[in-house]
Amino acid sequence: MIARMRLLLSRMDWAGLLATVALLVTGVFFIFSAGHAQGPTGQTLYLRQLVWAGLGMFCFLAFALTDYHHWYRWAWWLYLAALLLLLLVFVPGIGVRMYGARRWIQLAGIRLLQPAEMAKLALIIILARVYGAPGVWPRSRWLLVLALMLTALPVMMVAAQPDLGTASVFVPVLASILLTAGVPVRSLSGLAALAGLLLALLLILLLAPPALGWSEERHDGLLRSCGISSYQQDRIMVFLRRDADPLGAGWNKAQSQIAVGSGRLWGKGFRRGTQNILGFLPRTVAPNDFIFSVIAEEKGFMGALGIIILFAVVLHGAFRAALQAPDRIGRLLCVGVAALIFCHVFVNIAMTIGLLPITGLPLPLLSYGGTFMISVMIALGLVQSVYIRGERN
Amino acid sequence: MISDYHDKIQKRRLWLLWLLMLAGLSFLLAALWRIQVGMGAHYEGSLERQSVRRVRIPGMRGRIFDRNGECLADNSPSYGIAIYLEELRQGAAHRSTVESALAMVQRIADLTGLVPQVGRGEIERHLQQRRALPLLAWDNIRQREMARLAESAGDLHAVGIVVDALRVYPQGRTAGHLLGYVGKLEVVEEDQPYHYYLPDMVGRAGLERRFDDFLAGRPGGKLVRVDVAGFKYEEISSRPAAVGGDLLLTLDLHIQQAAERALAGVVGAAVVLDVTNGDVLAVASAPEIDPNWFSPILRQAVWNRLIQDPDKPLINRALSGVYPPGSIFKPVVSLAALEKGVITPATRINCQGVFTLGRQTFSCYRSVAHGDIALRLALEKSCNVFFYKAGLACGVDAIHDMAWSLGLGRRTGLAADSEAAGLLPGPEWKRRVMNEGWWDGDTCNLSIGQGALLVTPMQMAVVASALANGGFVYRPRLVSGFRRRAEGLREEPAVLVHKVTWAPENIAAVQAGMRDAVQSPTGTGRHARVPGVSVAAKTGTSEFGPKAARRKHGWMIAFAPAERPRYALAMVVEEIDTAGGQEVGPRMGRLLHAIFGLPEEAS
Repeated sequence: MIARMRLLLSRMDWAGLLATVALLVTGVFFIFSAGHAQGPTGQTLYLRQLVWAGLGMFCFLAFALTDYHHWYRWAWWLYLAALLLLLLVFVPGIGVRMYGARRWIQLAGIRLLQPAEMAKLALIIILARVYGAPGVWPRSRWLLVLALMLTALPVMMVAAQPDLGTASVFVPVLASILLTAGVPVRSLSGLAALAGLLLALLLILLLAPPALGWSEERHDGLLRSCGISSYQQDRIMVFLRRDADPLGAGWNKAQSQIAVGSGRLWGKGFRRGTQNILGFLPRTVAPNDFIFSVIAEEKGFMGALGIIILFAVVLHGAFRAALQAPDRIGRLLCVGVAALIFCHVFVNIAMTIGLLPITGLPLPLLSYGGTFMISVMIALGLVQSVYIRGERN
Repeated sequence: MISDYHDKIQKRRLWLLWLLMLAGLSFLLAALWRIQVGMGAHYEGSLERQSVRRVRIPGMRGRIFDRNGECLADNSPSYGIAIYLEELRQGAAHRSTVESALAMVQRIADLTGLVPQVGRGEIERHLQQRRALPLLAWDNIRQREMARLAESAGDLHAVGIVVDALRVYPQGRTAGHLLGYVGKLEVVEEDQPYHYYLPDMVGRAGLERRFDDFLAGRPGGKLVRVDVAGFKYEEISSRPAAVGGDLLLTLDLHIQQAAERALAGVVGAAVVLDVTNGDVLAVASAPEIDPNWFSPILRQAVWNRLIQDPDKPLINRALSGVYPPGSIFKPVVSLAALEKGVITPATRINCQGVFTLGRQTFSCYRSVAHGDIALRLALEKSCNVFFYKAGLACGVDAIHDMAWSLGLGRRTGLAADSEAAGLLPGPEWKRRVMNEGWWDGDTCNLSIGQGALLVTPMQMAVVASALANGGFVYRPRLVSGFRRRAEGLREEPAVLVHKVTWAPENIAAVQAGMRDAVQSPTGTGRHARVPGVSVAAKTGTSEFGPKAARRKHGWMIAFAPAERPRYALAMVVEEIDTAGGQEVGPRMGRLLHAIFGLPEEAS
């Protein structure tokens, strides 16, 4: 048993693991930096993050050492459980409403987890299960329809919370897995065209009525009947009209840009980020959604470069695991995880520098938060599990 | 194992995905480079603008000293109690800052027994306009309250004692007009390169105004970083305010005070000069003002009283008061006639008490006939008829030129505020202003210092000084030096404006006549006599106002000791009932007593 564990550990992707640990440690440090200017609660945030990171490492090792084929058998049950949790968010008393969205599940007043994060993991596993089953013909139409439906269910439930940002992450994960599995390019481009059409429709819904001189109530009513809340509308509008409402929804974006920009090449130094200390970067979001702003302000472009290189190493590990995977299910698991992490990194950083709307997607391994930490570490553990069992040449 | 066909496609697509992600990360890096390196300075500027405030710290004014180093204008510390709002805020997050500040003010009031100076309105305004600065809850508090506060300062965090410089004038009313006063400078804040402007004291009158640039210190400044709520987070850097320069005056406090005592109870002015170099030893104007009334703020009631007083105490009569000189102008006429050669010191002129010119009649004082008299006696007795005849003989131009060369009709150039030029009439002036010719009657009036002629006490002191020193017309020197901490002392030299050349026997005759006016038992200036010192003087009683209700000013110019003159004096008393010699003489005598270190007689 011990000898086997030793063997497994010796086959691990050490570069990816080291990059992961480096990101975790960096995260703890900058959550400390982001929190120390706040009140007593903020000052202990980093300790809690340390606990999350420890728990995450434990999950990582557990999943790395467990044969990922194990999850193959449980895939459907995990998926159903994730959907159930997503439903629980809407149950009064269990689902918590915060900042206008139901993202959390609580028990006895304690916030436990964000089901959407778990749902991402469950979706990756079920898609890998569907397309990775031995003898499956990946060009099958029925399989494609099944995969689309499996994705659509959690996406709609998350979008209804409403959490547009998280919901949008499911789509590239699905696309990466479909692409890798060997779905014909024709089907994929058709889907992409459809998605583009929907996006265009959304933009027309948002922008055309005010341009045509509709009253605000009438416009709101139209949007609500299409399932878009005013909160989501605001967030998209901030992105589209960059100067709209600089003290409201545009504030975070402007202040985050100032924080990143004023960091310049080498940054202002650890715990010297004035945007954060003085509270211009709102203290409620600095340790989680905007942790990258804090790092970029205090460590400058060089710090940001380091972070991006570390993520590249982690992603590279996932791709190597995918290339060397002993079977299709392992390969698809790795691709799904890589797509998930890449999406979060890209959207989060692009948001802090004002290139994408403020969506509230956390930065993997760095942002403060428990559920997402655990789900990312589990995902990376799955990748390691595949890597360990991969073929070496 | 994955079938070969699919494995190949999958691996190709995996590479594609990996390249896509690398491209995405590279895109992020490019965007970060643009923002952080390319536009870093721009964002740094935005950061500064939103989080850094510039505060101006007023400089401390320099002091003013007399010639012996006695301090005339000084700064004294004024203590205030300040509340540091940013600290107050951290302690009580559940209450609004206004409430906490109000509670703190009340607590300090209970501790010290002080009546609160600021209320809710002031605190709210402070939070709106100058949030990053401490709130000054009390200013000008006394030692006792400060001690009480210090006893309990330990548990009063967020409270501090602040020191401000208050302008004080240790000598009270002495030289009040000359020194002037200061006021708070109110500025439009938008025009300033500062976010917060702590007002300076600025000179409003007198030397404080004339030398404001030199006296005012260089303001300092500090950069304060504020948090998102606008409260002070830290001080980034500061440049201390520099102390202004010290002004050293030629004034002699002892003589100045004596001059002011001599003017007790009347409206008038007195000037004492050093005849050897033009140093101004005293400049007094009555009624007096105390510059301390204006500092730190002038109360409305005091201002109204000063403005409404019929004696106009705010005017510095020694410099800006213009009066007809009357008989004290006669020495000037004497020298004009002597130098032109129309009379000699020995020429006798007959006085019958009256002098008729055409249909006009001019008379001596009380129409007394002096008989055949020479210049010396004419000066002693102040005979008008002598000077009518002498003046007509030498003509208006000679008198005008002599007066001009002695500095009349123009400012003396004294380094002080609001000096008047007076008026020296002549044919050209009369043609220009009144569009009329100059008559012999005008010459007669000018010969006894009447008519349109107007002089200031300072001008007459300069004339007296030139008569004493034989024709050296100095620019009165009030400021002897400018002393700055960094640059040391810069001395102001004595400036000789003009040297009038007189024949020695002519000036000697005038000086002798003036000495007789005091030293002779029948002289008009005998009331100014000083034991042990011979004094030379000329009295004057100038008339003004409509013929039906003539009013009189009393005048006297003097120099002493008569043999080796050192001091030149001029004194005027407004609205007298008797003659100048009787009203002004005793006052001049008391001032001379003080100058020569003798006990001042009771009048």
